[in-house]
Amino acid sequence: MTDRRTEMPIVRPDDDLPRRTGLSRRSFIRLGVFSGIAVTLSRVVPAQAIEVDSTKPAGDWMGPDGRPRYRWDAISKVTGDKVFARDFRARDLAGWPQTQAHAFFVKATRADRVFEDIDLSALGPDLQPDRVVLHEDLANDRITVPQKVMGHGFYGYDFLTPKGQTPRMLGHPVALLVYSDFDRFVAAKRTLAFRTDTVRYGEDTGPKPPANYGVDRWVRVGSDDPFAEPLFSGLKDGPIRGGFDGNTPVWPPTLTEPLEPPTQRLRDRSVPLERPPRSADEQQRHEEAGMGYAADIAAEIDAAKSAAGKLVLERSGFSQSIDPSAMEPDNGNAWYDAETRTLHILAATQSPYGVAQAAAEMVKDCAFPVDTIDLLTGTTVGYGSKDYSIFPLYTVMAAFYGDGLPVRLANNRYEQFQMGMKRHSFDIDITLVADRESGHFEILKGSYACNGGGRANLSVAVSHEAIRGAQSMYYFPKSDLTAVALASPAVEAGSMRGFGALQAQTILELMVDEAAEALDIDAIELRRRNALAEGYANTQGGPQGGAMRNVDMLDRAAAHPLWRDRAARKAAYEAANPGQRYGVGYAQVNKVYGAGGDVSALALEFEPDGRLVLRHCCQEIGTGATTAQQVMIWQAIGKAPDAVTFGITDFPELPLTTDGSAADGVKNPFWTPSYLPDMSSSASVYYLGFATRQVGRFLFEHTLWPAARSIWSRGVGGGGISPLWVTLADLRITEDGVAGGGMRPIPFDELAAEAHRLGLITGVAMHTYSLWQWATAEFDVPTVGPVTIPADALSVRYGNGASDALKARMTTGGYDFIKRSSVTYPPNGRGNGDPMTNAASGCLVAVSVTEGTGAVEVVGLHSLLDAGRPIVPELVSGQQQGGLAMGLGHALMEELPLYEDGPGDGTWNFNRYKLPRAADVAVWAQTSEYLPPLADTDPPKGIAEAVMVPVIAATGNAIAHATGQRFYELPFTSDKIAKALP
Amino acid sequence: MSESLPLSLTINGRAVGPVDVPLGMPMIDFLHEHLNLTGTRFGCGQGICHACTVVIEAADGTTSESRTCIFDAHYFNGKSIVTIEGQAPRDADGNVIELTPVQKAFIDNFAFQCGYCTPGFVTGATVFMDSLKRKPVRRADLEQAIEDALNVHLCRCTGYVRYYEAIRDLALATPGYVID
Repeated sequence: MTDRRTEMPIVRPDDDLPRRTGLSRRSFIRLGVFSGIAVTLSRVVPAQAIEVDSTKPAGDWMGPDGRPRYRWDAISKVTGDKVFARDFRARDLAGWPQTQAHAFFVKATRADRVFEDIDLSALGPDLQPDRVVLHEDLANDRITVPQKVMGHGFYGYDFLTPKGQTPRMLGHPVALLVYSDFDRFVAAKRTLAFRTDTVRYGEDTGPKPPANYGVDRWVRVGSDDPFAEPLFSGLKDGPIRGGFDGNTPVWPPTLTEPLEPPTQRLRDRSVPLERPPRSADEQQRHEEAGMGYAADIAAEIDAAKSAAGKLVLERSGFSQSIDPSAMEPDNGNAWYDAETRTLHILAATQSPYGVAQAAAEMVKDCAFPVDTIDLLTGTTVGYGSKDYSIFPLYTVMAAFYGDGLPVRLANNRYEQFQMGMKRHSFDIDITLVADRESGHFEILKGSYACNGGGRANLSVAVSHEAIRGAQSMYYFPKSDLTAVALASPAVEAGSMRGFGALQAQTILELMVDEAAEALDIDAIELRRRNALAEGYANTQGGPQGGAMRNVDMLDRAAAHPLWRDRAARKAAYEAANPGQRYGVGYAQVNKVYGAGGDVSALALEFEPDGRLVLRHCCQEIGTGATTAQQVMIWQAIGKAPDAVTFGITDFPELPLTTDGSAADGVKNPFWTPSYLPDMSSSASVYYLGFATRQVGRFLFEHTLWPAARSIWSRGVGGGGISPLWVTLADLRITEDGVAGGGMRPIPFDELAAEAHRLGLITGVAMHTYSLWQWATAEFDVPTVGPVTIPADALSVRYGNGASDALKARMTTGGYDFIKRSSVTYPPNGRGNGDPMTNAASGCLVAVSVTEGTGAVEVVGLHSLLDAGRPIVPELVSGQQQGGLAMGLGHALMEELPLYEDGPGDGTWNFNRYKLPRAADVAVWAQTSEYLPPLADTDPPKGIAEAVMVPVIAATGNAIAHATGQRFYELPFTSDKIAKALP
Repeated sequence: MSESLPLSLTINGRAVGPVDVPLGMPMIDFLHEHLNLTGTRFGCGQGICHACTVVIEAADGTTSESRTCIFDAHYFNGKSIVTIEGQAPRDADGNVIELTPVQKAFIDNFAFQCGYCTPGFVTGATVFMDSLKRKPVRRADLEQAIEDALNVHLCRCTGYVRYYEAIRDLALATPGYVID
């Protein structure tokens, strides 16, 4: 075999080198029709994993006790199989051409001058691209950035900066260079790297970012009674919408036309199911009333400043821009097959449903006719940064310029820094008022301004999440919180673990430590006096769900030797290590899991021989979610699936629609507020797993129990069960099968056969929805009767022994879609009170600070977490350890300049950007503990996102303990500390 | 275009080449694009993160770890290397027959999450274990020896703890690798 261009002999591994692609069993799944274009989706990884799963040793991944021996996807990952989208080339994908094109961007490194043109003379004659794509080409071909699916400006306005315009942000692509072979592509890319003369600039215009993205305000006026109805709150009265005068917020009544935030489907945590049914005048009166309460709070703060009994602490903080640094850089591969009018996409994304919708909008009216989109996704990792990223859409854009070949875009690390999504930087101003005698917090007033860079993306949602997390773990009778999302010429910021709450909570936790010192109260004791508890109202007015466990956690932290003995340890350490200063700090937060509007869907069915098949919307992003979902199945019915497919985005058994409103939902059993989730917000284990657990419970109650009862009743006189009294409540899942009440354990396979023989339900598909409250519906289910369950859609299959009449009902994707007879959705506006599900997480950090240099070494680390009832404890601890490392990176070393010398200049890489290594995270010394569940029915909670937050402030508080100096500007670098040390 | 020269080497026990490869092409690109061996992962292109490492087998049976993102493919001319695809023995169809001790230790300890950096950690830990075979480490020095050997490997998901614990436990469980 030879390369068709270079005539070089090519060694193909198919003949003599071990590798596997595992795509032979790949199957396409119809995703839906968007903009009139049929979209199908397939997951390369699950198909491959199924193949791996069918061989030893992968088939032994779960033990007989339902505990995983290792991750379900462990074998393929540890042996170098193709699992990430980045691993695949066109030749690996069934039906794609064997050769492919490669492309890279020319990007602007200035955002203050007009883009005029590009100059590729440095490439010489040999390395000129086979195709150059400029904005003008896209305009001619009507390929535009989608403006509808996620709202105007969400993905920006231009893929490539038009000639004559100033790039909206640093690092913005201005041209795409396409090569039909890899060797010239890579040589050209290397030639142009770091050159500053490839892009020609014209007139100096100054920065031209988009308009600012959003400004909103939540005011709550309650009382010392956290259960009392407040005078004003977000939940009751809604947020106050602001506008801008420059970058300065403007509010009613001065502002008469508030800024409407862009539509942010799925992830705009501020938009409830429907806005409260108020007229514009009513809404304005509410907002003006809210501004009146805000003025009252401001006056109360002023009064407190001169009151001897009050502490007023005002601090300004800064949380820096960081790069998510997912080890897999952004990448994608796409092929436009003009012959079949099909667009094939391979994407690395956390939100395939969003990619499909956006791609369909992109190509709907473009010059290249597209009837079908086939979307493939690989396993990926992004910590949020591959959630609604524009990168997959760039891949779609490039597909049309490969001259018939697939086009691959794959960032190197410089490019990833230059255009990859960032964590927002925040400027934060907080005023904390406390009563000196009681130590009780009385007022929290804050402004939380994030810098979203040059594309809106999820900046508004991130700013909202900042104020929703701002209270950390405390109850505040009164609060006035402003969320600001600013535009700038910085590289785009978007979804990233922490999502605004990290920044807001960090600054408050630093302040609480300082307040404790000012009040002369132990910092943990001060937290105890102000801790949120079950049912308390948050700063938006929403109730806190479940036992908060804050005080439990504080008690454990206070008893830990790092805290209890900190004074003695400090003295001993500093005596033994001259020139070093020792300190211990603590912080604790409540971090939301879920996003409001959380959905899940799955289908689980079994054959008479017991073969169990699972299809689930959950997809793998590294956390082990696909492992945990299968463990939940075992815990519910005593067997793990034999065949699984994850990342499913279409369930024919659940033909639901989101067209319409909640009112339609009562009448239309096919309506749901939201169909499928993205993978974000620490939602998988509780919210996606909720549907898994409900399906398992349904089968347990309505299939396994009657099947077991039938088996136990065999024989004369009612069988072995007859002399006893055995109920559903007696049943347990054991290693040997379903048992309980003194009866013989029955293996799942035997129950499956009996269920089929009896014609019981042998398959369940379910859709669940929560807006901080689960939707419930009543279904009249044949063989069961009427049931009310926390799901808004249900389909079932009947066993082989079912009557012909029942089988005739199985017409919806092979299932009987049970039209709900009634449904209750969460009330409108409940989203204004979010978040309502939180996990408590605390962290003790011990540091040693070197005098003179200010260098910080973490010498002790103890993490506390309320994970609820963990599904796979090993996965929880792995997430916890990873969260700690990421938090330490944010606290001590990771930082990106926003503008000059920032990542937009294309020169950043891991040589300049310091990531935590093992030596930085006390890898051998760190410890952790989990609050034991209060009962065996406690659900699991979100994990890593909660863990990575308190370690940041705890590190700052430890530095304060060590040095006597307080720092509110992150990261806490050695140079800042050295300057502050006397 | 730069000049191309013939390259011959041994990869995963099989002879490859001679094949013309452009001068200046990093080894990782040769593995990915010419051989379709994509398990060796690109992380930084600077030799900083060590996601891209492979084992070099010397003639005397010793092993070392080498980055492939910063070394020209021709640097490996005449050498014998093992990529992640060649660590575990496989049958004729490419199916894994048995994991290596390092691979097994990692999966048993739930060491990785996304797994992008895992091939580099397998490579680094394998070379480290091989070094212990030739030169055992004192028990008191084991943790530091692991850190010295593996600290160059970046991981963004795990916080390193489970990787390091897996290597420590494997070293302790392997007779002769750790001495009092």
